[in-house]
Amino acid sequence: MKRYLHSAAAVLLAAVVAVPVFAARGSADFTRFVALGDSYGAGFESSSLNERHQEWSWPAIIAKQVGLRLCTPSDPATATCWAQPLVSFPGIANELVLQGILTPSPSIGPAPGTGRPLMATFARPYNNLSIPGATVGALLAVTGGEMPRLNEPTVVSFARFILRDQGTAVQQALLQHPTFIAMWIGGNDYLNIIFSGDPSTLTPAATFKAQYEAVLNALVTGAPTAGMVVGNLPSGIPPYLRLIPPFLVDPNTGQPILVGGQRVFFTVKTGIDAQGNDIFEPIAPTTLIPLGTRTKLAQGYGLPPIFRNIPPFNQLQHTGDPLEQSDVITVEEITATVARVAEYNAIIKAAADARDIPIADVAGLFNRVISPTGEHLGPISVTGDPVTGGFFSLDFFHLTDLGYLLMGNEFIKAINNGYGTEIPLMSITELFANNGAFFGDGIPSASAGSMIFSARNGVITDQAVRQITSMWAQPTVRRIRRDLTTN
Amino acid sequence: MRFLRLTATAMMTCVLATSAFGSGFLIPEQGAKASAMAGAFAATADDPSAIFYNPAGIAQQREIAALAGTTLINFTNEFVGDPNSPVTSGVEAKYNRHTFNIPNMYAIYPIGQNLTVGVGVFAAFGLRTDWADPFPGRYISKDADLKTTSVQPTIAWQTSDGRFAVGGGVEYRRARVILNANQMRLNPFTGRITDVANTRLVSEYGSDIGFNAGILFKTASDRWRFGLAYRSAMDIDLEGDAEITQIPTGNAEFDFAVSRQLPPDQPINTTLPFPEIVSLAAAFSPNENWDFEIDIIRTGWDRFKALDVEFETTPAASFTREQNWEDSSSYRLGVNHNATEHWDVRFGFVYDENPQPVEAVSPLLPDSDRLGGSIGAGFHAGPFIIDGSLLVLHFKDRDTQGRNPEQFDGLYQTDALLWSVNLGYKF
Repeated sequence: MKRYLHSAAAVLLAAVVAVPVFAARGSADFTRFVALGDSYGAGFESSSLNERHQEWSWPAIIAKQVGLRLCTPSDPATATCWAQPLVSFPGIANELVLQGILTPSPSIGPAPGTGRPLMATFARPYNNLSIPGATVGALLAVTGGEMPRLNEPTVVSFARFILRDQGTAVQQALLQHPTFIAMWIGGNDYLNIIFSGDPSTLTPAATFKAQYEAVLNALVTGAPTAGMVVGNLPSGIPPYLRLIPPFLVDPNTGQPILVGGQRVFFTVKTGIDAQGNDIFEPIAPTTLIPLGTRTKLAQGYGLPPIFRNIPPFNQLQHTGDPLEQSDVITVEEITATVARVAEYNAIIKAAADARDIPIADVAGLFNRVISPTGEHLGPISVTGDPVTGGFFSLDFFHLTDLGYLLMGNEFIKAINNGYGTEIPLMSITELFANNGAFFGDGIPSASAGSMIFSARNGVITDQAVRQITSMWAQPTVRRIRRDLTTN
Repeated sequence: MRFLRLTATAMMTCVLATSAFGSGFLIPEQGAKASAMAGAFAATADDPSAIFYNPAGIAQQREIAALAGTTLINFTNEFVGDPNSPVTSGVEAKYNRHTFNIPNMYAIYPIGQNLTVGVGVFAAFGLRTDWADPFPGRYISKDADLKTTSVQPTIAWQTSDGRFAVGGGVEYRRARVILNANQMRLNPFTGRITDVANTRLVSEYGSDIGFNAGILFKTASDRWRFGLAYRSAMDIDLEGDAEITQIPTGNAEFDFAVSRQLPPDQPINTTLPFPEIVSLAAAFSPNENWDFEIDIIRTGWDRFKALDVEFETTPAASFTREQNWEDSSSYRLGVNHNATEHWDVRFGFVYDENPQPVEAVSPLLPDSDRLGGSIGAGFHAGPFIIDGSLLVLHFKDRDTQGRNPEQFDGLYQTDALLWSVNLGYKF
């Protein structure tokens, strides 16, 4: 009897514990699971969308952990599988690969070949409707059927083979009668500042609020019984902005060039005087230089005029000319962006709370990773360092397979908290490479020589830089259009 | 006497292979009769294995005798990863199957009416956690192997009426440890977490000398017997070598970068603490056919604060694994029934507290409270004695509760079978 009481008490206790902290809307039924998002949701990595990494997109992590099979290109639309718009390697655009890490590298360049959409004729909407370049507003506007024009937005170009002119992302999500919807959107609403340094490119908070709520209302109305999860937005500084120091560095030594014992800070234009000449001043030590500014630095922009007489700088066409404000990002611009992202997150939280939608703490993940100690994960520490940190891919902005795995886990945690489910996290052991590690004795070690195992002094090919800086711009997406028309 | 010398020589030269674990890494199964009574033997102590259980017990044995045997141990275990851990979710793992052989030998020699001398060779501490490849926790430990051997000359004296006895011994214990783990890194060329080196830490044998002592008291009727035994703590300093073998990843540049970061092979040292053990025992015989004994055994595991391995050439490679164990108790009940003239049957129960705080539960040694039941029999005819026993130990499920410092969180489930047999001869 006593034992029975004991068991009964245990059952009662379990029942109390199992009540979700958060009574989320709908239910955690993943029979028809759709995802809405941007390049992160698509599994865009190292400046490329391709099948090698699409299977690690954060929505694909969720799909795998809830037991769904990912579609392969040979699956018919009638197959029971979770579909993404797969692109063959080396992807759109060509995936950047690490070519070397020895002195004076690391060198990074695009893989050769041509990637093509593999499921362009798949006869139903994709489960993963994430579109690189998508803003919140794009989810209700872009269909991929827009009239082609020069310099069209990235999101439109990608939508051409993801949405395929069959409705907006939200419409295609609802067409599938989803039982569960995961969404992470908003990154592109403040992304441009990272590349342009121009706060006017930030989506105004009021617009963001109206669009975010419109998207949620459309989803909630169109799929009233579906479970949902959304995520908040990170505001940490990606390595993209940390690769180039604000002062002149000797490329051979990696050390600052000193003039009169002082570092030489790049100059930036602050105005034009009465004679029409540029007024400029050295940039502040806290100013960040986006990787894309490298092209101008290589032409001599940003070097003080005194360098016009110093070889080899005198051979550069623009030595002495200042950088533009849009070539650099000041601490004020960063502060303004962080403040705006905080507004977006407050909007996301209020909008989600009002609809009983749990929120994945993506911002928390980024903060942990880019903290000085990084995110400790068993045998490794994941940090925000370029190349070696394990989180940011070789475009220094999008994530690695491991980064997306961790991001997917944040969504799973939010779902479990909200719905009282016990979806297992995905383990990093999925990314263990078993390179004969178990037969370890008697293997000769590598030969001697000098090397520098650091990304900071590295060589990133010009082609790679062009590709990274154009990720959100025209050259990449013109390629897509060409590919689709030749497909 | 000549026989005794021969026996002692044979014992000393015997190389003992000891691999298993008891509470912590104590192995209290050092005789089949005692094991059949679940280790409740410090008040009975009536065969030569008393040298281990309570040295005072050999004083009541007034015949030259030798006893030798072994305990064979099999573990079945499973580790199941914590579904909420980004490291171990979905992971399942097991030990490689081993049968551990833990031999013991004792000889006693009475002198006059009150004195008995003896010697025992046993292996009361040991550990082996050999995880089957590809073990996801290999960055912590693939294989941990601790072997010990003890030799203990013992002397005991009893009053002429046999009601009170006192005994003690000097224990020479030697030990050696092998720890084997892999180093893993993120390979930036592949984005995969890759084994880059195997680290094998191998110590030479180190030793220390301790002592044990015990008393035994019987009521005039011999219906009640009480025992108290003590075994001292030890610290064994171990010297050894770190063997660090790079594992090629297939990328020459990455391998080269790794090779620059790996410490060289080098001398290492550590100190392994061993606990003191106190046994308090009471036995009751309502008639000449039944014996009941209860023992409470306290083991001073709080000495095991940390495993510190010092690398002598590159001190930066030294590491500390916090242990912060606590003293633990085990409770043992044993019953012996003289069923026939030649046969005894025995059984017992044990509850053994584990000394490990949850933070210290790791692939190196995932301990847990154990519940056990034993059954056994003894046959004696003339000078011959044969004892056999089976002890079944169930380790309570041990969950790391998300608190493993190296994030190897999950549930450890372990069971063990301990088969013991001893052969004895009285001269």
